[in-house]
Amino acid sequence: MHSFGHRANAVATFAVTILAAMCFAASFSDNFNSPSPTASVKILNINWFQKESNGNDEVSMTLNISADLSSLFTWNTKQVFVFVAAEYETPQNALNQVSLWDGIIPSKEHAKFLIHTTNKYRFIDQGSNFKGKDFNLTMHWHIMPKTGKMFADKIVMTGYRLPEQYR
Amino acid sequence: MDWQGQKCAEMLMQLLLVVSAVAAFLVGYAMADFQLMLLVYAGGVVLTALVTIPNWPFFNRHPLKWLDAAEADRHPRPQVCAATTAGKKKIGKNK
Repeated sequence: MHSFGHRANAVATFAVTILAAMCFAASFSDNFNSPSPTASVKILNINWFQKESNGNDEVSMTLNISADLSSLFTWNTKQVFVFVAAEYETPQNALNQVSLWDGIIPSKEHAKFLIHTTNKYRFIDQGSNFKGKDFNLTMHWHIMPKTGKMFADKIVMTGYRLPEQYR
Repeated sequence: MDWQGQKCAEMLMQLLLVVSAVAAFLVGYAMADFQLMLLVYAGGVVLTALVTIPNWPFFNRHPLKWLDAAEADRHPRPQVCAATTAGKKKIGKNK
């Protein structure tokens, strides 16, 4: 510590190390948040339901997606990425997950929402298993932090069923 | 800076930075404002730099007593002798 340069280097290095410790502490504080999110998805209408020329089924739906994810936000939350996926079983695949809609919630104020939309991404099967198919709609979310660990969780909503016939 | 001053500067630096960090974290957590935490900490770092990096007079309160020039001449440095057995060694006094 016998010269200006030595002391400047010491201050800079120690300051950055302590900053890293603070970021760790900030991320750790996220564990004390106990979130209580709610979500519900309603299928308002099946717009059409066809078998494509390549043999795969496709369905288009209009959905009401509503959720209150405000309890997920902490002081260390940058944004929440949320998506709704349809999950179902077929003879070829034990689990199929098809993402139908996603969005980014930039702040707590935007976390309580109701979206009326057709499915943002196409709901196409690997094959032709959709007629009369029971499926779940699961809302997944990723809580993206400003620093540190990302938490992810989901809410499973069951009881949805596709029509027996093409239309 | 003298030796005491250097030690003082190092201790002050560590103390000020840790205190800044703790204060910044508590303020940021209480106000639920991450950016506020970073701003308070940045202020603390600047303060620490201003206090510990420049050569302030209070870091020089125990200055070293160097020999003055006349006294130094009376005590020449020890010479490294050449590797001969019959060499005349010149021994310097160290006090």
